Amino acid sequence: MHDFKWVGRPVTRVDAQGKVTGEQKYMGDLKFPGLAYGRVLRSRYPHAAIRSIDTARAEGAPGVIRVLTWRDVGGLNGYGIAIPDQPVLCRDKVRYMGDAVALVIAESPEEAERALALVDVDYEPLPLVDDAEAAMLPDSPKVHESGNVHMQTHVENGDVEQGFAQSDVIVEATYTLPRQMHAFMEPEQGVGVPGPDGEATVYCGGQHPYRDQMQVSRALGIRPSKIRVVTSPTGGAFGGKDEVTLQILLAMGALATGRPVRIVLSREESTVAGWKRHPMTIYMKTGARRDGTLLAHQVRLVSDTGAYASLGGPVTNLALEGCTGVYRIPNIVMDGYCVYTNNGIAGAFRGFGQLQANFAVEHQMDRLADELGIDPVRIRLRNALRPGDPNPLGHHMVESVGAIPTIEAAAKCDIWANREEHCKQSSAPWRRRGVGFATEMQGTGLGVGLPDYGAALIRLLGDGTWTVGLSCPEIGQGNSTAYAQMAAEALEARVQDVKVFVGDTGLGPDSGSCTASRSVYTGGNAIFRAGAQMRDKLRNEAAGIFGCDPEEIVYSDGVCRRSDGSAGITVQEIGARAAAEGREITADGAFIWPVSKIQIPGAVGLPHIINTYITHVALVEVDEMTGEASVLRAFAAIDCGRVINPQGLRGQSEGGMVMGMGYALMEDTIIEGGKTLTPNFSTYIIPTSVDAPDMDTIACEVLEPSGPYGAKGVGEAVMVPIAPAITLAIKNAVGARVTHAPATGERVFHGMRCRDGCRGQGAGEGSIA
Amino acid sequence: MEAVRVRITVNGEEHVKTVPTCMTLLRLLREELDLTGTKEGCSKGECGACTVILDGVPVNSCLVLAYQCSGRSVVTIEGLARDGLLHPVQEAFVRHGAVQCGFCTPGMIMSAVALLDANPSPTQREIREAISGNLCRCTGYKAIIEAIDDAAQRMAGWVDSQAADEARV
Repeated sequence: MHDFKWVGRPVTRVDAQGKVTGEQKYMGDLKFPGLAYGRVLRSRYPHAAIRSIDTARAEGAPGVIRVLTWRDVGGLNGYGIAIPDQPVLCRDKVRYMGDAVALVIAESPEEAERALALVDVDYEPLPLVDDAEAAMLPDSPKVHESGNVHMQTHVENGDVEQGFAQSDVIVEATYTLPRQMHAFMEPEQGVGVPGPDGEATVYCGGQHPYRDQMQVSRALGIRPSKIRVVTSPTGGAFGGKDEVTLQILLAMGALATGRPVRIVLSREESTVAGWKRHPMTIYMKTGARRDGTLLAHQVRLVSDTGAYASLGGPVTNLALEGCTGVYRIPNIVMDGYCVYTNNGIAGAFRGFGQLQANFAVEHQMDRLADELGIDPVRIRLRNALRPGDPNPLGHHMVESVGAIPTIEAAAKCDIWANREEHCKQSSAPWRRRGVGFATEMQGTGLGVGLPDYGAALIRLLGDGTWTVGLSCPEIGQGNSTAYAQMAAEALEARVQDVKVFVGDTGLGPDSGSCTASRSVYTGGNAIFRAGAQMRDKLRNEAAGIFGCDPEEIVYSDGVCRRSDGSAGITVQEIGARAAAEGREITADGAFIWPVSKIQIPGAVGLPHIINTYITHVALVEVDEMTGEASVLRAFAAIDCGRVINPQGLRGQSEGGMVMGMGYALMEDTIIEGGKTLTPNFSTYIIPTSVDAPDMDTIACEVLEPSGPYGAKGVGEAVMVPIAPAITLAIKNAVGARVTHAPATGERVFHGMRCRDGCRGQGAGEGSIA
Repeated sequence: MEAVRVRITVNGEEHVKTVPTCMTLLRLLREELDLTGTKEGCSKGECGACTVILDGVPVNSCLVLAYQCSGRSVVTIEGLARDGLLHPVQEAFVRHGAVQCGFCTPGMIMSAVALLDANPSPTQREIREAISGNLCRCTGYKAIIEAIDDAAQRMAGWVDSQAADEARV
């Protein structure tokens, strides 16, 4: 048991009060005098050349203030985290139906809306590219001139042919994974506000304000210092607001009109225009010895990134990393392709490639267990990585490794340990129960070769309270509360005396993105360092006041004392004295992520060396009449290093399990002929309160020496192995092995019908809807 | 655009506004009365983020026209706390960690308050049903259900102790 005062305690969220009273303003709630309203004209076709754009009629429409097109962009007409291949406003070509062609700014949202129809765009439709495999063929129409394969990765280690030759059993299958939507409750929205001297402030939910600032500045051709970006709070993001959404348009609109401009996307526009999880097809062939020891693994993965790159490349590589699961595999060969199509756009989404990969590899492990007659837990334990082990990719597991602890903890949970009893029960004679087990590790941080750093600034105020500024936004995950706890711990202060400012380029230094499960680890490390610096500064201040050496001062619990006990001074007095002299006592901390010494050749970003480990168990009931599955109970065993806030961990874990359940059972954004057929919550179904299972979470804290107080990260892994745990539970219940997610009633039903005839082939057919 | 005069009581305060006939209650609350606690998530009654209580009944304010509320009474999230004291449901949401991004929270709380007003001791099933029109993408619902259950018990206790107090008087 540790003796921390704040770390590890279920401290109430610092933002809860404002959120339950409705006082908390989100970026789309903000009002400014003279507010104007923007609407975006989206493409009429999924793939077309633009011959001309004529805005004259729209500009003459009632209430219209300005109509902006590519001519008004000013700087680089492109954005994108990896490469800026997505136009801010399209000039000569559109590549998906969410492409922005013009921005209409009017006195009211209705007038802006009506004027959209008056922008005359002359399109020449081009042949559609709607299948990632077909897009790779040499004669495919090109989405981009550079070709449709955005990125190709080949990873090889050992001798896979020899590995298969030595294998007693080989299983192979192709897995098809859906285009999941983030479905954050707050559609993209915000306000751009002009300032003096060509400056602008952009209020818009996002995940990395400094990168948004850079992208706005690059697109508008103005200095970053002229753009302030405020992102917090964000009403959910999950990766879907990692890329810039409206920030550039908001800044452009404000600067072009000299008025505050608000843009709010409708749910439908958000669905059509926004990023999704990459649909992937993953072929896997896995060989093992009779005792279950993995010997060889071959993977071919094709990822549909849609019209633009965004983070499609890194997602593909993280998926490849995830394709080897938590296992030692001496011989691997893996090929990944990230391909452009006209199927919307795909980018970052919680899990970041791992959902797809883990679904496939955990099904492979289950097939092996079935073929060999080995218990699913035993085969995982036999192969799970231990500290110091070689990773299949070629590096070694040098940081904290919690694979075995989470597997062992999950194996002891009630629904697994007593699964036979649970499966005997059923709510109706035509319903059968099954329990599934799956495990994952998720690399955290951005990986080798990518700048990954964080900074924090602590100020002591004149009244003895503190501010902590850092840029990682509050997107709902609770990092601002974790920051307050870690700062209070480092400063030996009360958590209620620490005010945290996040997600604002004007209020805190750059601490990177809220992605890759990195914000507690990075921000926490920066705060930890700033806290140490602050304690030194306080001792120096006290030494100056007492006329002694700083070495003679001891700081504890908000008081600097001379070690001989002759004098003491509180931080409040130190803060007040400094304020009276016109000074402020500040401390900063910076942190750079540790990365692997070796880089996996040909795979940008790989490997990740600090991992979250998680094992999920699901109890599922399947209706044999319809194939419909419902999750009754779920269990998570999580190693995220030290838990900073147990309530926060629980929130992440339960939310992740239900989101992963949506992935497993119901969610897919259907795009046909380039058109989104599921643009709202009547057609794109996410889990409701009636669907959510009962859930339990336990923490297996394998402390990470490089983490703040031993913490790692947790935001992404929480939704990953639950998906295969659910589909494997379906298999255990009714024998249907669904390889095409989501496991809709139709697919499960089809799998049940062919369970004897096509064993091992799995069920992929059957339509969604 | 045709306009219409609307006399509406919001959180106990009467307002008279002349608004377009097509203006929704949601828009009236957010834009005309600056009550931005009520959120807009889908604009067609699918997500529940805009839930308010209209004459005791929870409604999606995006599906109600402002003029239809003339002479009626609306309670929004801003109208729950009294003299800085949170409503028991709000308090329970804070205590149970039922709030994450917070965008669904106001609508969720209004559905819960309407439930407990109509049914002071709901079963877990009834709680789940009552908020099934309020989508949440962050929490997985469990903490929310627990918070509502806890609030119900505390409110029952509060009512009991109030009855006991009255009996003593």
